Amino acid sequence: MATTYLNLTNEVLREINEIQLTSGTFAGAIGIQAFVKEAINRSLFDIANEEPQLPFFAAAASGGTDPFYGNVTVASVAGQRWYTLKSGSSSITTDYSSIDWDDFYLTTINVSGESAPFVSRSLHYLGLTDWRRHLRDSENADDADTQAYGEPRYVLRSPDHRKFGLSPIPDKVYNVHFYAYSTPTALSSHSDAMVLPDQYGPVITAKTRYYVHQFKEQLQQAAFAMDDYKKGMRHMKNNLVNPDPVRMTDDRTYF
Amino acid sequence: MAAAQPYSVSLQGGLDKASTTLELLKTPGTATKLVNFEVSTQGGYRRINGYSQFGDGTRPNSSNDIEGLKVYADGVVACSGTNIYFSLDGDSWLQLNKGSVSGSGDNYSTFTGRTAVTRTSQSKAHFAVFEGDSIYGELIVTDEGSGAKPFYFKMTGTGVLTGRTYFAKEITVSGTHYPKFCVIHDKHLVVAGAATALNTIFYSGTSDIDDFTSSGSGSIVLDDQVVGLKSFRNELFIFCRNSIYKLQNINDASNIAIVPVTKNVGCVDGKTIQEFGGDLIFLAPDGFRTVAGTARIGDIELGVISKKIQPVIDSIMSNVNNLEFSSVVLRKKSQYRCYYSQDGTATGASEGIIGTLTSRGFEWSQIEGIQAAAVTSGFLYNGLEDTFHGDRDGYVYNHDTGNDFNPAGTATNISAIYESPDFDYGDFGTLKTLEYIKISLFPEGACEPSVRTRFDYDSTDRTQPTDASIVASKPSIFGNSDALFGTSIFGAQEQPLVRTTLTGSGFSNLFKIFSDDRKAPYTINGLYVSYRPSGRQG
Repeated sequence: MATTYLNLTNEVLREINEIQLTSGTFAGAIGIQAFVKEAINRSLFDIANEEPQLPFFAAAASGGTDPFYGNVTVASVAGQRWYTLKSGSSSITTDYSSIDWDDFYLTTINVSGESAPFVSRSLHYLGLTDWRRHLRDSENADDADTQAYGEPRYVLRSPDHRKFGLSPIPDKVYNVHFYAYSTPTALSSHSDAMVLPDQYGPVITAKTRYYVHQFKEQLQQAAFAMDDYKKGMRHMKNNLVNPDPVRMTDDRTYF
Repeated sequence: MAAAQPYSVSLQGGLDKASTTLELLKTPGTATKLVNFEVSTQGGYRRINGYSQFGDGTRPNSSNDIEGLKVYADGVVACSGTNIYFSLDGDSWLQLNKGSVSGSGDNYSTFTGRTAVTRTSQSKAHFAVFEGDSIYGELIVTDEGSGAKPFYFKMTGTGVLTGRTYFAKEITVSGTHYPKFCVIHDKHLVVAGAATALNTIFYSGTSDIDDFTSSGSGSIVLDDQVVGLKSFRNELFIFCRNSIYKLQNINDASNIAIVPVTKNVGCVDGKTIQEFGGDLIFLAPDGFRTVAGTARIGDIELGVISKKIQPVIDSIMSNVNNLEFSSVVLRKKSQYRCYYSQDGTATGASEGIIGTLTSRGFEWSQIEGIQAAAVTSGFLYNGLEDTFHGDRDGYVYNHDTGNDFNPAGTATNISAIYESPDFDYGDFGTLKTLEYIKISLFPEGACEPSVRTRFDYDSTDRTQPTDASIVASKPSIFGNSDALFGTSIFGAQEQPLVRTTLTGSGFSNLFKIFSDDRKAPYTINGLYVSYRPSGRQG
């Protein structure tokens, strides 16, 4: 069973010898108990801010549209350049927290009415500066004139970070697959489970202890707690963000 | 994290209801609540004993109130209803208020066959014993009903009551004056407070306590109404409602004099007057006071000794006209106990105050659950001190004994509470996280009090911890006859330091140690607290 908000809070309270909460007293916590509750969420957000692309922040499970990569799929519309990254999101506060811009994939597979041969290609990320300098004018002219459009080769990020753009403007429907990461939801109820696997719970509690010791003006203990947090983050990133096997290939030829 | 700091408190000072919270920070050994605890002369606060039925619980006179008790001879005299009784063992009661008793004494069967002399309107009874040359002395009984003459009783002989000789009669003071108060002073019986002569004292002939016309007798009219009499050393103190006098030279007709001690302070109720600790203690409108006799005649010091419990006194005074008082001195405990309750108040709600005389002066605590409409303490003929009290249901009890209260023979828990003032550990502004407490206990048997910690004056802005129980076993002390096989713990410490962990933090905190059970008494000698100070916010 995943560690709950109550478990995390009491773990910290026990460590600092404070009175533990129960499921009955959790909602009405006051004083240091309320502070610890808040610090748990601060710590969770700190982790998300420091490494937003940790796998447990993923917006959805990958491979939802097997065999394609990505956990979000957006269908393009002929003649439309910009698409909201998160469907239905009304503002940046509810958008995805992070997008893997190196991993956009465009295909006609599974698009209604399409048949082999299909289009399948990675979209290269193109900065807005280059796009404005080299492509925008011609694409806009085409849009205003012949509307020939084309098969997108680049993905753009809108200045407000809420949309992605395709270049050239798509000439038909394509499925665009990419990876998105959500903002963690603040824990609220005592039974809310943290999104991290249990083994990484100490990372949250270490950062919480950091805040609590600061609150109590125990600076040395706060420093120790920060060290624990940094070690925990390092291990977590090593384990979860860069777990690729280390492999080297030597293609030199010896005579 | 800051190093753990020690803090130890020796419990002394008793109940302090009058000091401000900041003043109390300087006296951590005092208590802000001390109910059914007594300040031990050996240090610390001891949960009080209970009380048990006297004998088999037979009541002297059915459900009539016990109006007065007096340790006499080898038993106890009880006034109940319109009668006076005596019992050796509480199993049976001998009615004493008999008339027409022979001047040379009646034997048992004759005495019991005599016609009763009704104690009309008998109310709170007062007793005086003139030891004289008889084995048990001569007992005088008056009562505040002022509806009957002073009653004289004497008993001689030892062994069973059927083998003894009895003397009894009413004493005529003057006309139809029926005094309420009586005292033996320097070979005279002095009476006063008759409803028909509220401000007159009468004194009997010299060494002739049953005759108010013989040589040496007389009367004196005072300015104020008498509420109590007490002989103290060679003077007789006359307590009036708004003044106090002393009668000097009662045996010197030419120099006999009434000298005012004070005309500003009087006594609330004569039942509160006791000789204690080389002084007289009484309840005045502003609290308990002493009339300190000094080596120099005429040098009088009046002082309120109950300032620390002034709110309790104020509470009593706000209802004083409806309260009935009784008091007793427990000599072996250096204690003055004053009980008060309203007629109709349940036993559990009846209250009292204990004043213990220590090397630091009077230290106070409160009692709840003892309805002592009458209480007495005295030395039996065998030299042992015995204490009794009686209630408004007509029962007589052995006072201050056992592990539980026994109203009407029903064993009842003793609910005892000690609550410390808030401890600031030397700095009120620093947050402290508590680690553990060691409680220095002296268990007199297996006991299991609870410990409650409350931070920052029980602030609702702090999460307060749950209670913890501490268990102390009955130590097996070599040579102690109480040590029982299968009960006492071999090797158990006589005065263990019982440790319990604490949680929580605050700028200050109090400890409440309480029990509500029928287990053995225990004494809390002191507290040792380990805590870690941190910053100044929290």
